[in-house]
Amino acid sequence: MPNDVEERDRAPASAETRRFRVFRFKRGDERPHTDDFDVPVGPRTTVFEALRWIQLHRDRTLALRHSCLHASCGTCGLRVNGREVLACVTGVRDLGREISVEPIANIPVLTDLVVDMREFYARFPDEHPILRHSEFLEDASPHGATEEHVRLEDCIECGLCLSACPVVVTSERYVGPAALAFAQRVVEEPRGAETVNLLTWADDPDGAWRCHAIFECTAACPSNVDPAARIMALRGTLLGRRLRAERTERA
Amino acid sequence: MATLEPRTPDAHVLIVGGGGTGGALALDLSLRGVKVTLVERGEFTSGTTGRHHGLLHSGARYAVDDQESAVECIEENRILRRICPGSFEENDGLFVAITDEDMAYYDDFVTGCAQTGIPTHELTPSEALALEPNLNPGLKAAVRVPDATMDAMRMPLRFFASAQRAGADLRNYMEVLDLLVHDRAVAGAVVRDHVTGKEGEIRADVVVNATGPWSEQLAKMAGVDVPVRPSPGVMLALRGRLCNMVVNRLHHSGDGDIVVPQRALSIVGTSSWTVDDPDDLDVPDDHVRRMYEEGAKLIPAVGRAEFRAAWSAARPLIGPREADSGRELSRTFKTYDHRETDGIEGFVTITGGKGTTLRGMAELSADVICRKLGIAAECRTRDTVLLPHTALYAA
Amino acid sequence: MNDSAAGAPGREARQERGPVQRKGFGLAPTGWVDPRGRTLGAWAFAGNRITGLGLVFYLYLHLGVLTTLLWGAHAWGRFLGVATTFVFLGLDVVLLFGLLYHGLNGVRVLLVGTGLVPHRERALWWAGAVIGTIVLLGGALHILGSRS
Repeated sequence: MPNDVEERDRAPASAETRRFRVFRFKRGDERPHTDDFDVPVGPRTTVFEALRWIQLHRDRTLALRHSCLHASCGTCGLRVNGREVLACVTGVRDLGREISVEPIANIPVLTDLVVDMREFYARFPDEHPILRHSEFLEDASPHGATEEHVRLEDCIECGLCLSACPVVVTSERYVGPAALAFAQRVVEEPRGAETVNLLTWADDPDGAWRCHAIFECTAACPSNVDPAARIMALRGTLLGRRLRAERTERA
Repeated sequence: MATLEPRTPDAHVLIVGGGGTGGALALDLSLRGVKVTLVERGEFTSGTTGRHHGLLHSGARYAVDDQESAVECIEENRILRRICPGSFEENDGLFVAITDEDMAYYDDFVTGCAQTGIPTHELTPSEALALEPNLNPGLKAAVRVPDATMDAMRMPLRFFASAQRAGADLRNYMEVLDLLVHDRAVAGAVVRDHVTGKEGEIRADVVVNATGPWSEQLAKMAGVDVPVRPSPGVMLALRGRLCNMVVNRLHHSGDGDIVVPQRALSIVGTSSWTVDDPDDLDVPDDHVRRMYEEGAKLIPAVGRAEFRAAWSAARPLIGPREADSGRELSRTFKTYDHRETDGIEGFVTITGGKGTTLRGMAELSADVICRKLGIAAECRTRDTVLLPHTALYAA
Repeated sequence: MNDSAAGAPGREARQERGPVQRKGFGLAPTGWVDPRGRTLGAWAFAGNRITGLGLVFYLYLHLGVLTTLLWGAHAWGRFLGVATTFVFLGLDVVLLFGLLYHGLNGVRVLLVGTGLVPHRERALWWAGAVIGTIVLLGGALHILGSRS
């Protein structure tokens, strides 16, 4: 019970330390720079916990974005040693002696490791439903013959896919994997939404056709969205739509 | 339905704390025509609000031991479904009895729910297993209640989005360093803007302490004390959605007695102890183990599921300083007008409560604050459908 | 009552567009030259672009070589002398690799990119790798063996 809380996880003074090279930027700075911090870590310390330690014990001005601490809110996306990850579920143990921490790419930096997500959301179409049919335990019988179990969509809006995509740097107007995957989900399961406008929105040189099938987005996604496959499926739908339209025109 | 157009500002209220309570209060006051600034030292909901398992309480957990809480919960449960459509996995929840001891609690539980207005539906074990095949096959009984699941950050963010549209100035990454106190009155706050790295002052007619488990730390800056104990608990996230409904243990509150589905994860919670500093929380190994053990009693697959994350969150519990387990403390929310309690003008603390009661807490506090400011304005949040969370990021 | 003065500082600073970081070593925004954390799909893509450039380069080389025909059989014969050396034949094998890689990966991109086989991009890559390796080995033996 509570009174005998053990402190095995609190790193003792003699624990291992790792050097974190952290990206820093405040508005008004001419250019960003990095700061080095030596952080005591334990076997199960996460990148978030290490950065939080820096914030609490070394530099209170370090801005850090986080909320749920269990890969559900998508706010702690970072590039750690160049790889897109969620800091709250990334262990420090296998990362090496020197660990570089940068904000995610392709979205403007607000401050330090925090990006301004307005440009992420600006890429999405206007309507943004987030509920879907729950495909888990489909054999179970919900409350009645007509009802179903619902769940929130997989996408946690973390932006890791947009950061990992090499194509974004070539086209400022590319809507990106998250927005396209979202559109494909609505087309796949409309739940009463209007899909024609979404397909028209996606059928654009800077929409589904800008993707080069590189699949970095799918590799980076921490939430099983598989955006690349969804973009390809969306393309298939768009092609079918175009071919049908052409056939009707010729007829 | 109330519209979300900003009205002519009268007085200025500074809310310190960008959790669910602060956001809901910012909305409530803005809709009453009050100019609101909200400051939060990190990302919105990065304190306690974002870390909870996402349960929209039916209140059934408190139907026997804390009926005041239960009534608050079921009322707010209904209101939130109305004002935040599309934000909840409305699959209901189950309270599952595993042992004979649990069964001894059964009658009180059902009676308590009836007394507090929580609709229930009693199920046989086979009915329960048909609904949730992963339940412990040895279960003795189950009761269905109107629990639901939400995204712990994105649902409160709808309050922020709507408050912003109604004219509130919401500032994340802005930390209060000290309060401006003059002549036994709080006049505002000294802040550091983590975006620019610069310090500045914000003056206000009323400063609201909505910092949750940090309430005492902020209150000290005004020279007052509030009886809030930070009470952390551990939660465990496992890969795989092992249930579609919320699954609770039918007993008096205990550790690891709830499994909440979240997207493709299952969250097992929680435990409880008290600390002095709500920052820098431990995640004790034995608590994590207990989550596995207790969770597996409800859903055996918990014992075999793949680990995703384990974390701690500090809840603000109101009560005397002597209570140490944290669980006996009341979970109702309270608003302290420090003129009445401590003779300090311009300072109000709102604390306690649960994620589910954010709107209700805000209404209560906004009533107190408007009375202080001499503003006669009705609460409009019961019927105002909120904007989607994405509206917060509209340019 | 205190007068409700100015709100929070720093509003304009927040409205400005901050610096956009791109993938690249350290802080230099070098675009997509950043091998850290890249996965199979990215390398396949890079390989496609590199072999593509290589093939274009070869095309011009080939056209240049063919123009030696304008100078008659003697000039062409001299070229053939060079073309049958071991080094040159080795480069032919490299060319074959480029053709096979670009072609087979191209088929993969076609199948995946039109939504015909969206979920199988990795399997397709390995299938192409196997087929390509077999054809390359056979082709290499044939080309290098033709010297005798």
